[in-house]
Amino acid sequence: MTEADARGALARLVREEGPRVVATLIRLTGDVQTAEDAVQEAAIRALRAWPESGIPDQPRAWLTVTARRCALDIVRRESNRDRKEAEALRLQQLFAAEPVDSDVPDDLLRLVFTCCHPALALELQVALSLRTLCGLSTAEVARALLVPEPTMLKRLTRAKQKIARAGIPFRIPSAAELPERVAGVVACLYLLFNEGYTATAGDDAIRPDLVDEAIRLARLLHQLMPGQPSLTGVLALMLLHDSRRAARLTAENEIVLLADQDRSLWRQEQIREGVELLGQGLAQSPCRPDPYVVQAAIAACHALAPQSAVTDWSAIVSWYDVLLTVQDTPVIRLNRGVAVAERDGPQAGLAAVDKLAGLERYALWHATRAALLDRLDRGDEAGSARAAALALDANTAMRQRIAKSQTN
Amino acid sequence: MPQYAALIYTDDVDWSLPDYAEETKEYNAFGEAAAAALRGGAALYPTSTATTVRVTGGKGGDVVTTDGPFVETKEALTGFYLLEAADLDAAVAIAAGIPATWGGGAVEVRPIIPMG
Repeated sequence: MTEADARGALARLVREEGPRVVATLIRLTGDVQTAEDAVQEAAIRALRAWPESGIPDQPRAWLTVTARRCALDIVRRESNRDRKEAEALRLQQLFAAEPVDSDVPDDLLRLVFTCCHPALALELQVALSLRTLCGLSTAEVARALLVPEPTMLKRLTRAKQKIARAGIPFRIPSAAELPERVAGVVACLYLLFNEGYTATAGDDAIRPDLVDEAIRLARLLHQLMPGQPSLTGVLALMLLHDSRRAARLTAENEIVLLADQDRSLWRQEQIREGVELLGQGLAQSPCRPDPYVVQAAIAACHALAPQSAVTDWSAIVSWYDVLLTVQDTPVIRLNRGVAVAERDGPQAGLAAVDKLAGLERYALWHATRAALLDRLDRGDEAGSARAAALALDANTAMRQRIAKSQTN
Repeated sequence: MPQYAALIYTDDVDWSLPDYAEETKEYNAFGEAAAAALRGGAALYPTSTATTVRVTGGKGGDVVTTDGPFVETKEALTGFYLLEAADLDAAVAIAAGIPATWGGGAVEVRPIIPMG
């Protein structure tokens, strides 16, 4: 192992352990900012000390005990003069009552629900999750979400301030609140994934770094709440979609349609894992299937077809029908229309797509119509549908794909 | 325990009119149900009775008053409660009992800066 490798491995270890230590420090100090600053200082000390002393047997306990000391220093330095000794004493007593190697797995779960609290705007939830749960630096979060660093710093500061001042609790919701709160967590997670999987901003059609973070976070959440079908479903869905990563773009960074992808590039291991999770998800929501689980089932139909021509479109249309019983949106109806076109031909597909209302501002609706009209040899109408699609917002790669489909 | 202001925004109504007897009864019912958490509150006359005060030229300068609310909006601040709750979730749960929240208006929950 070279020295650079060793340093990289150390940095990864610190990053892996960091969020759990932050979570514990938030519970003990009651303040996100203090906890973050303390753990950051502890991480710096670890990266300085460990190359000489070797990695301790229990790196998390080492980080925790160091972060506690740093938290005490911060409180002594920054609290109000009349309150700081009392606050420092209070912390010392709390610290003394809890051994550093005690594993409180619920701390991380508490942090999840604090970061994804509905009283925080969704953009704040996403930023805060990347910062505290994924352990990214403010600069990395800014890069990930394509926001200038000072803007991101302000956004994160505002989020932490709101948590502290408004009293957003650091606790696991009660059983009665849990489904709704988990739905919020999954929405935050899926937004993060989609922003990486089909970037809506910027020049890149796919942003693998963001996809990787989303999957990492989904794994963590699934580990923490293995019985929640929407988490099982969303992890399965992400793995199945992302299994096609290597086949989704040409060397020129253009999107390759599902039907044209080189399926030998699909990651079979990830597909197997996704399908296995899908089975778990279906078992977890037998009466009223969870929408993410159903979407994973649709993704699995594609992933399991060795060639495009043998895709089981009947099964896909049926899954869309199931999906519409639990989540009826125009976009899902559009995707069902596409599946109908594959099963019953372009005429039936166009009829299904044309029936949909409320998608005039959605580039993919126009692009789908253009493609179906082309297959029906109605070139003029296809041209105007394509022009309508291009007139709407879309990132560079999607624009190329829409424009290019004209020549095919 | 943290305190919160629950600011009530509704149509700019005159609660003192007999037309609002029903609503007033609902507010009274809320007041009784949430009595343990409430630390104060009031219903306000409509914004047509408001006077906005400014002082020009620094502290002690000329007092300038204008007739009407600070900002004209469709929905107006028509009352408030001061309440005590363990955290934001608990405050929101209490605020959700305020009739304005389901009557077409809304309640803004704001944490109060602890003094001393």
